Amino acid sequence: MAEKLEDLNLPLTVVTRIVKEALPEGVSISKEARTGLAKAASVFVLYVTSAATNIVEKKKKKALTGQIVLDAMKDIEFDRFIEPLTQSLEQYKQLMSARKSGGKKKDDDEPEVIEDD
Amino acid sequence: MSTPKAEKDLHLPLSRVKTIMKSSPDVEAVGPEPLYLVTKVTELFVTDLAKRAYKNSGTNVLEYKHIADVVQEDDNLDFLREIMPRKITVRQFKELMAKKAARGERSDESSEDSSEESEESSSDNQD
Repeated sequence: MAEKLEDLNLPLTVVTRIVKEALPEGVSISKEARTGLAKAASVFVLYVTSAATNIVEKKKKKALTGQIVLDAMKDIEFDRFIEPLTQSLEQYKQLMSARKSGGKKKDDDEPEVIEDD
Repeated sequence: MSTPKAEKDLHLPLSRVKTIMKSSPDVEAVGPEPLYLVTKVTELFVTDLAKRAYKNSGTNVLEYKHIADVVQEDDNLDFLREIMPRKITVRQFKELMAKKAARGERSDESSEDSSEESEESSSDNQD
């Protein structure tokens, strides 16, 4: 649950790090630009989420899946992200199945809780 | 269970992305797979937006206006237009109004736009 309002924003420092990695070295980013990008990223999360839940509702699916997130990209016309995202999903699935077959624990119904590092 | 390794290539904290997703009234639970993808695509998005803004800027300093320009010009980014308005000075605003008056425009839409812009310009007044 969101306890504080800041919890609904992505951390500025992390967004700035992503942007710095994307731009050539030596480019500086004004403070207003940083805040703007972080805000844009936070709103994007909600935008994608709502596009995905629209699909869940329309297609009467039970829950949000990775494939639905991919389909949502088409709906919001971010088709250019589909390919890199599909690759990421493949990698993620491979890793998860490797973990499952490698580990002693069987896959049970218990939902996985993801914690921060 | 611990955090899968695949998530190590992510920068953004999954827990925060999850909180934001769950703030949507239609979302009750978020599984690890959709959470991973939404986080990943958000990173792609921010990278893409920053690169485009930088490319258009033609300078070595990325500023707010460069991002706002991309947002206002790309219809796919319509969802960001309200949170990232173009900031203009009062003088620019007056020029804009003068031009509109000269053309004799009086649609409802344009008058709505101009009231928004005037708010912006008053907070960013440089004259």
